[in-house]
Amino acid sequence: MNQRPHVATATFVGRGVGRRAQWFRGKLGNVGRGMMSIRLAGLVALSWSLGCYSGIDDGRANSGGADGGEDAGMDGGDGPGDDEPISEDLEPAPARIRLLLSRQYVNAVRDLFGDAAAEVAAPPGNTPLNGFDSIGASQLSLGDAEVDAFESSANLVADAAIGQPAMLAAYGGCTPSGPTDEACLADFVSELGRRMFRRPLTDDELTRYVGVGMTAAADYGDALAGQRRIIATMLQSPYFLYQVEVGEPDSEMEGRRRLTGYEMATRMSLFLSDSIPDGELLDAAEAGDLDTAAGIRAQAQRIVAGEKAPAALDEFFSEYLRLRELPTLPKDPAVFPEFTPVLADSMWRETLTLIEDVAWTQDGDFLQIFDAPYTFVDAELAALYQLPDPASFGTEMTQVTLPPEQRRGGIFGHAGLMASLGHIASTSPTLRGKFVRENIMCTSVPPPPPGIVTDLPDTSDAVTMRERLEAHMEDPTCSGCHAFIDPIGFGLENYDAIGRFRTLDNGAPIDASADIDGQPFEGAAELGTLVRADERAAGCIVRGLFRHSTGHLEVEGEEQELEALEATFADEGYRMQALLVELVASPLFRVVGEPDA
Amino acid sequence: MKLLKKMHLSRRTMLRGAIGGTTVALGLPILEAMLDANGEALADGTDMPRRLVTWFWGNGVALNDANNPGAGLRFYPGTTGAGYELTPQLAPFANVREYVSICSQMQCGAAQPGRRGHHDGCVLLSGHPFIELPANGAPYASKFGGPSIDQVVADLVGSQTFLPSVQLAVSKRIIGSEGPTLEFMSHKGPDQPLPQIFNPQEAWNQMFASFTVPDDPDKPHRINALDAIGEDVIALQARVGSADKQRLEAHLSSIEQIRNQIDALAPACELPGSPAQTNDDVEGVEQIAAVNDAMAELLRMAFICDVTRVASFQFSGSVGYTVFPGLSSGHHDLTHEASQNDAVDQATIFTMEQLAVLLQKLADTPEGAGNVLDNACLVATSDAASGLTHSVFDVPIIVAGGGGGALTNPGIHYRSPSEENATDIMLAAVQSVCPEITELGSGNGYSNTPLSALKA
Repeated sequence: MNQRPHVATATFVGRGVGRRAQWFRGKLGNVGRGMMSIRLAGLVALSWSLGCYSGIDDGRANSGGADGGEDAGMDGGDGPGDDEPISEDLEPAPARIRLLLSRQYVNAVRDLFGDAAAEVAAPPGNTPLNGFDSIGASQLSLGDAEVDAFESSANLVADAAIGQPAMLAAYGGCTPSGPTDEACLADFVSELGRRMFRRPLTDDELTRYVGVGMTAAADYGDALAGQRRIIATMLQSPYFLYQVEVGEPDSEMEGRRRLTGYEMATRMSLFLSDSIPDGELLDAAEAGDLDTAAGIRAQAQRIVAGEKAPAALDEFFSEYLRLRELPTLPKDPAVFPEFTPVLADSMWRETLTLIEDVAWTQDGDFLQIFDAPYTFVDAELAALYQLPDPASFGTEMTQVTLPPEQRRGGIFGHAGLMASLGHIASTSPTLRGKFVRENIMCTSVPPPPPGIVTDLPDTSDAVTMRERLEAHMEDPTCSGCHAFIDPIGFGLENYDAIGRFRTLDNGAPIDASADIDGQPFEGAAELGTLVRADERAAGCIVRGLFRHSTGHLEVEGEEQELEALEATFADEGYRMQALLVELVASPLFRVVGEPDA
Repeated sequence: MKLLKKMHLSRRTMLRGAIGGTTVALGLPILEAMLDANGEALADGTDMPRRLVTWFWGNGVALNDANNPGAGLRFYPGTTGAGYELTPQLAPFANVREYVSICSQMQCGAAQPGRRGHHDGCVLLSGHPFIELPANGAPYASKFGGPSIDQVVADLVGSQTFLPSVQLAVSKRIIGSEGPTLEFMSHKGPDQPLPQIFNPQEAWNQMFASFTVPDDPDKPHRINALDAIGEDVIALQARVGSADKQRLEAHLSSIEQIRNQIDALAPACELPGSPAQTNDDVEGVEQIAAVNDAMAELLRMAFICDVTRVASFQFSGSVGYTVFPGLSSGHHDLTHEASQNDAVDQATIFTMEQLAVLLQKLADTPEGAGNVLDNACLVATSDAASGLTHSVFDVPIIVAGGGGGALTNPGIHYRSPSEENATDIMLAAVQSVCPEITELGSGNGYSNTPLSALKA
């Protein structure tokens, strides 16, 4: 039974939006949530057997302050006793350790030692699982090549770092009395270690790292050599390289563990800012402020309002919408001579600019990204989109509306997405449709039937891509799935493999009339309108951020809280900033399961 | 107090302390003076080093008749045994045919029970059924179910060389979005795929330019650092679940490996200079033949310098969309269009030509009384018989090299009379390097019966 009191949904963040009274927020949130639980039933059924969800609405109906309690939002920091209770139904995935993503490693180096050090940082790349680098980072092991790369990178960063004495002074700040001033070096280890490991060092660790530093300082007869070796060593430590999220047992939560304040600091900072915690966040952890949802919200709001949050969100969507594939996307130069690295970069920026506009400039309904009647172009894109006088646009992104006959609107009309969901020389309605199902609606597409020797129909009479695929669909072993995905792509056939508008395919007129789940559409804007109205799309954004930020696909025991979070997103007018804050304040983000035996 | 005590140690003592305990036995190149009178073994009586290469191309080969998938593949010879006829797809092996055996009508046992096109064929090189990750609304992904055969061998012989194994690749048009099964060839286990190197200059860097000079003043301190973080890893292991314990164990063993590499001496052979070739596209076109040649040459040098004895070579990827010379569509798409069968044929012939480049280089490199190919075993295969059928029965499998005398010579075309498990081939191949391996794979892919027809 869901014990969550009504204040659990309370949340308002962001620029220009004042905090409303707790009781008022609670009431609003509660009503919204009840409605959402019904609305979301369809989504639930897609992911899990319906039987798993009996009792969902019990929790909702009784959520009006089951244990009353004080308004946790107003007195954060007094310890877990005053925190919003965590539902007994929450059965989170087992605790795991997770490798920092490459960009997080580099950002951390920049925060710790400055730009010159970040410049030479060269961590190994990431391997995604189920579409997320962070899931790969939670499951895959380091091998020789990665450990080698981390070792080389650590030495290069350390060399660069000792060239920045002003930055190093932040750690300890004492001036060594000689090459082997142990007390001074211990200060350095202690202060730097707290930032790099995101917690105070243990006595063992302090001794160990001071030992490594003293040996080098003595050998070189230089205190700086000791600092250099300490930096290089800590950069290779598992306590720097991994997010350690094992939590601590909580007497009120059998079989589950609550992340410590320090673990929370790391988890929320890496998610919201793509870097390790700053000093203020570590101090908040030390003070116990991150032991309550209210305290977490306060810090999350600070980070979300900070300068790093937009870049972190950009990185998420660059992965989620496959924008980061654009720079290395192969296109047949004979067919698409205009597809250059410069154009690919403009495409990437177009989509990120729309996301930034909605999420940060407006702090508005994020679902606008699906059907926004405007977009952003530079000269490259203006030419691709056949705008008059494209050269006048220059290299900056300018807001425009596109010619109505192109039927563009929202991200499905963005050239970058259309290009990355295509073949080298032709479009792929299949890839486009599969992307909408999987990445936008969070609906897995069943695999093709394996090992079946099919005699595919002769497609030599087909002229257009649509005709060829429709011929494939005559085969009963193929039609099941292809009928589920291809028609979505048929509706986008007016955008070629680099996202240019066209009316002919292979010389024949294009028929872009299509449907999604029986609802007719033609072109990107109409598809976007239908997607925006489908609650699965909003839920999928929540799930995407959840998967990325926790490094795992949701398990059954997390469904209920995920639905609550989806409801909160709706209550908050689908504002991204509110979602980011509520996600980290959610029990989903704060509690982990017992480690697997 | 402990720290102050350390400071009183002389530098010499510290260095000894830091390095002592680990003796690195680095292989030396085979020089004439080291051989016995017959040139067939080392003078001290030990065998010549033997090597294993796994070589992969994606999406299978062309069908005999695209409108009749039951009529088989254009790949296979009509005759069996030694002296088999060379089909146009096998013609590139004309000069090395005595070293090349072809296996047909074998079944990829490990493909069962978790079927998924391409994923189920990739597991040929491990013998373990793949692990499907629950997708739960997210994009599909799978992992290998166990180590690939190159890593089974590297685990046994890898400590004898500077690098236990190398992972090389040519075409960059591979699929990274469906998990390690499709993306990587080499896997130490389900959670440890080994990334491949695409750029010949990076491969050179790893194999020939990462030796630490013996008197580098940083060397003992780099080793100290690794020892310190090793203690951190062990401490962390106590706090995590079983899966993470295993990951940290892998981390620990790689720390040990890198520690040994820092401590190792460069081999006493003439190391090649950095290749001029990179893996950058020119005008949007991959430089496949040039990159393949550069990678093959680096591997040849790595073998004669005994930098490693195990390699995987990902020529093109599973579901890969390589555009082969003279064609304008990605390979995967071509193989799924019946009307493009001739284009697939052309791509297959080109692919076999590229494989022949490596075989020829090894055959042309004298070693002892023979050549490097005499002392190597190369297994080349794909992820399906043909992309059009996705069948894992009759997947083309090539076993090349003398295997140090362990493999049949001249090569044969072996046509299985009973749809034998393809892991039997893999077992025969790994036994040419490590005779002590008696079994491979698991589940339906398990084998303890090496394919005897391939044995000398």
